[in-house]
Amino acid sequence: MKLSRPVTKQPPETIVALIDVVFFLLVFFMLIGRMDATAPFDVSPPTAATGADMPSGGITVSVSAEGDLAVDGIAVDDSALDSRVEERLAGTSETLVRINAHRDAELRHVLPLVTRLEALGARDVVLVVTPEPAPPVR
Amino acid sequence: MQDPGTFSLARHRPPKALISLVPMIDVMLILLVFFMVTSTYLNLDMIPAVKRADDPSQSVPQSTEGAGTTLMIRIGADGIPTLRGVGMETPALEALFIDRLQSSSALRVLVLPSGAADMQALVSVLDAATRAGVTNLRVVRLEVAE
Repeated sequence: MKLSRPVTKQPPETIVALIDVVFFLLVFFMLIGRMDATAPFDVSPPTAATGADMPSGGITVSVSAEGDLAVDGIAVDDSALDSRVEERLAGTSETLVRINAHRDAELRHVLPLVTRLEALGARDVVLVVTPEPAPPVR
Repeated sequence: MQDPGTFSLARHRPPKALISLVPMIDVMLILLVFFMVTSTYLNLDMIPAVKRADDPSQSVPQSTEGAGTTLMIRIGADGIPTLRGVGMETPALEALFIDRLQSSSALRVLVLPSGAADMQALVSVLDAATRAGVTNLRVVRLEVAE
């Protein structure tokens, strides 16, 4: 008598593992990523060893190396800066403004901004810096 | 035609899944790609320029004692900090701050940068002062009188 070996059914590849991996990746990128609007020009902030942690929220005013301005990622003229910042400050309860200036930006473009922003209602103005790279380990 | 002596049992059809997982996976993948593309990973810090505590209407008038402990640092157009006309490198400036702080803990530092100096020069001076332990530091600038 010939007995046939029962065909073992291969379990279907579960899709739950894939969903788990994708979900973890999704949460990872949501947590570590910053959703700030990027400036329409290149901005490399100056380096500093004693910078404090960046507070969240607020408005970002970017200054390029040539003195061009942008508010929350949208380029503005110098004459339109006040109205744009006022509009942004009126739409939120935030009074924090970050000045994200290029390290080569001349201070005649940056320092008057602090006074202007304060006059427009900003109560906290911070300068954005990047931490100095750690010295190489020997 | 079915034999009247037999009967058949119908196999139940497996119930259809109420919610398909495929659209959810599609949405998650789109969200994942969105966050991967739009996220920036710059490590940013900040240096406070104006604080609420700086509001002049709420500040207590400071006494004029220790008026001789003010240090004025100028930053030239080339970005080099100078004290009484003498240019200094950042480590020397930091050492100077530490030295002055030992003689007077209420040291007040005023920084007067040239408008043509770059942002990195100012931040380097602020950094040196903070590292040395200076707590009273102001950045001043000249304005054209109207």
